[in-house]
Amino acid sequence: MAAPAQTSLIDLFVSRATEAAAKVERIPRSPADVRAAIARATKGARTLVIADGEILPAEVFAAARMLPGVISQPTDDQLAAADAGVTEAFAGVARTGSICIAMGPPLRAAASLLMPLHVALLPAERIVFRPRELFEAKGIGVEALRRNLAFVTGPSATADMGPLVRGVHGPHRLHILVLE
Amino acid sequence: MASAGTSTGSPDTPRAVANKSDKRTLVRAIRMALGLESVAVRRNTQNFNRNRYRVTAEVADYDALKDEARAIKERSIAGLPDLLNALEKAVRARGGQFYLASTAADACRYMLGVCQAHNAKLVVKGKSITSEEIRLNHTLEGAGIEVAESDLAEFILQVADEQPSHIVAPALHYTTERIAALFKRKFSTDAKLETGEELTKFARERLREKFLHADVGITGANIIAADTGTIMLVESEGNIRMTCLLPPVHIAIAGVEKVIPSRQDIGPFIELLALSATGQRLSSYTSIISPPLDDPPFALSGRPRKRREFHLVLIDNGRMKMRQDPVLQETLYCIRCSACMNSCANFQTVGGHAFGGETYSGGIGGAWEAGTGRLENARFSDLCTGCSRCVTNCPVRIDIPWLNEVLRDRLNRASAGSPLASLLGLASAVRGDDRRASAQKIFFANYHWYASWGARTAGFSNRLARSPFVRRVMQALVGVDSRRELPPFPARTLVRAAQEAPPRPRGGAFPGRAAKVVLFADVYTNYGPAGRGLATLKVLRALGADVVVSDAVPEGRAALSQGMLATARKHARRTATLLMPYLEEGRDVVVVEPSALAMFRRDYRHLLADEARFELLRTRSFEPVEFAARLLARSERTARYIFDVSRSPVGTRLFYHSHCQQKTLGCAAPTEALLREIGFDVATSNVECCGMAGSFGYKKEYYDLSMAVAADLYLQVQAAEQAAAGGARAIIASGTSCSEQLQAGLGRPVMHPIELLAAILKV
Repeated sequence: MAAPAQTSLIDLFVSRATEAAAKVERIPRSPADVRAAIARATKGARTLVIADGEILPAEVFAAARMLPGVISQPTDDQLAAADAGVTEAFAGVARTGSICIAMGPPLRAAASLLMPLHVALLPAERIVFRPRELFEAKGIGVEALRRNLAFVTGPSATADMGPLVRGVHGPHRLHILVLE
Repeated sequence: MASAGTSTGSPDTPRAVANKSDKRTLVRAIRMALGLESVAVRRNTQNFNRNRYRVTAEVADYDALKDEARAIKERSIAGLPDLLNALEKAVRARGGQFYLASTAADACRYMLGVCQAHNAKLVVKGKSITSEEIRLNHTLEGAGIEVAESDLAEFILQVADEQPSHIVAPALHYTTERIAALFKRKFSTDAKLETGEELTKFARERLREKFLHADVGITGANIIAADTGTIMLVESEGNIRMTCLLPPVHIAIAGVEKVIPSRQDIGPFIELLALSATGQRLSSYTSIISPPLDDPPFALSGRPRKRREFHLVLIDNGRMKMRQDPVLQETLYCIRCSACMNSCANFQTVGGHAFGGETYSGGIGGAWEAGTGRLENARFSDLCTGCSRCVTNCPVRIDIPWLNEVLRDRLNRASAGSPLASLLGLASAVRGDDRRASAQKIFFANYHWYASWGARTAGFSNRLARSPFVRRVMQALVGVDSRRELPPFPARTLVRAAQEAPPRPRGGAFPGRAAKVVLFADVYTNYGPAGRGLATLKVLRALGADVVVSDAVPEGRAALSQGMLATARKHARRTATLLMPYLEEGRDVVVVEPSALAMFRRDYRHLLADEARFELLRTRSFEPVEFAARLLARSERTARYIFDVSRSPVGTRLFYHSHCQQKTLGCAAPTEALLREIGFDVATSNVECCGMAGSFGYKKEYYDLSMAVAADLYLQVQAAEQAAAGGARAIIASGTSCSEQLQAGLGRPVMHPIELLAAILKV
């Protein structure tokens, strides 16, 4: 199957992630734009935890850390009580509307899981078509095969109590910023 | 608590009917489930089922993915001992511990040891059906360790003390109202507990504390890669990610069959599992981790920060023996997605507390219960009607009906038999080994035998069959429910009628070489609605085919479905021998009854030793309308040139219900297409099965279940007739027993599509 062109991959990603109940925004990738978008996305959150990135330039994270409410060296008690977590996404999967978090760097796993709101920064060029591309020893898969990954599709959810309820043990809200 | 029994009149509980090693408990369980759980089970399983069809249709290479997954599983199970060695090395190389437990007790002992070594007081657990199989909570709690089930469904079951009713959504038999009532009874709280939101919030807040303070986290594993020790964990709530991340000790447990060679092999499985399970493109969270994780474990203030530790516990508990079993081996390919149960009409109606054992449920559940426990525990798999709807929905293409037929055969052989059964068996030439089956099974397996007698004296036997006394006797002796009307025997069988009405010379409308056909006189059509066979003759001849009719011999479906394999094999051999000369002279085989056709196309693979014969029959047998459509396509004529919708004796508005086996064989679509092409307005059912399923709905133990299954079909007819452009529709069905079921519920005549086509022929 021929993989669609990157622009249509982004469109598909946005529509599928939105269907999965994530909020998705496409923004420019300058540190100022990213910081402004994070500020909008985390409006109302009193405390924020920002995990370091590996793909995006350090300036992006440095700018984000200037936001009010950011806890720079959180204790575990602070992590457990924070309102929002911001992490980089290792990849996006268009067909399923998923982001893929690569764990390892400090705070990455916790900031994508423990807080009621998770804001993910996804570089647009890292969107692939289907999940299995992250299990193939070529392209982005080469690195993916070496990492601990969490594929995240929308917010935490359950239907065990009858109707679909969003926000169970994991984040109630997932906000994806696609950086173009 | 006093044991719940029918004699005391107290209602049954799921636990009381979990072990169905005797059939009476199975019947009680069906009654309990129909009364208490059917509403929620139906809604939830049908929701999963609809979603699965929707999302798998988006995946262009769905079939290729299934082939790939199947091939990986075949390779993995064949090479399992080597994979386990490689996996142990990989886990240890990463600093984890590896333990291969031979039995349930062995696994529990090891895990208790790990907990005690850490002086654990609180264990938090993610969903793991394997942990239910080995009764892990029982062991841990017995040693004074608190076990917090963090998956909300498992949490409900823990509070209710019930076994899972489904392998993916273990509490899907609960409605919101019943959960609210349960929580109010079990927890003293002022919290408002009515809506799904409120109940979820209540459970979340209780469990959040447990995550933060747990000493040990226990999860299952959906797939394990031997080369890297990577595990895949699928969930939607986030509790499994918490369980892996927060406590210092992580234990993952799984059956040995979960191991595949490499991390790269996970590709097809990550794509297939969520699709096949809940019908989501991907579940909310899918973790791909090679523990122990690098992140430091969580330590709230005042608690020491410990070193992270990981244990992978793999469980044999009968699986290595299943691996040596030529039939049960296939069970080990199962990735526990639940597609088989969600696509099963019986399961949709009663769920896993009736169609299930102490741990495993649904179509695949019998094989799991037998393999990890005792054969008798698989008795509930009698609820598999062999309708085959699971077969095309299984992501690793397991032939689940075959597993259940073989289990039934083994259960028959293990039973004591009865004098009546022996007598019936002798009279009807049942193979010796099969005479230990119940009289009911022997009766249904030999439909052809008494039908041939009944048809010889049709007038008399039909009067007899209507007599209430005879019906009561039949119910008492051979378990035919007296509420069922028995299908009448025809005045002239298909074979006799065909002899008496020799073919008229062919018309000139179809020049060229005529298609040559043998119409197989299946016993259901021959001794039942024989007119369907005559209509087939008429239509195919009008389309220029040279058609002859075979003798009527039992093809083996009836015996197969009762688990009487020796008899089914005998019938298969005899049928193949009968048909071979026709095939050799260039005739294709046309079969009216879809379950008989399915024998030729699918089941004979197991029953005929001669593979070449099976291949020949598989590729050259057809359903009547399917074959008519092929003839039409080969001719230069349009459907409307041959058929004239205005001649229809039942009007132009139809409700068409295709047969379950017919759907699996992919020959329901040609009928729908042809009827529409001719100009009919066709509404179709989308139920998986009508609930009759050959003999199933006639059995006194299953009559109520059968009618409950059919309720969906009756509602769909009603809905189609009350729709915007409403009005009555003629009922059309392709299966013999589906027609009986539709007649029973609607009280209206049912026509086979080929009869309708015969009635509107222009030529």
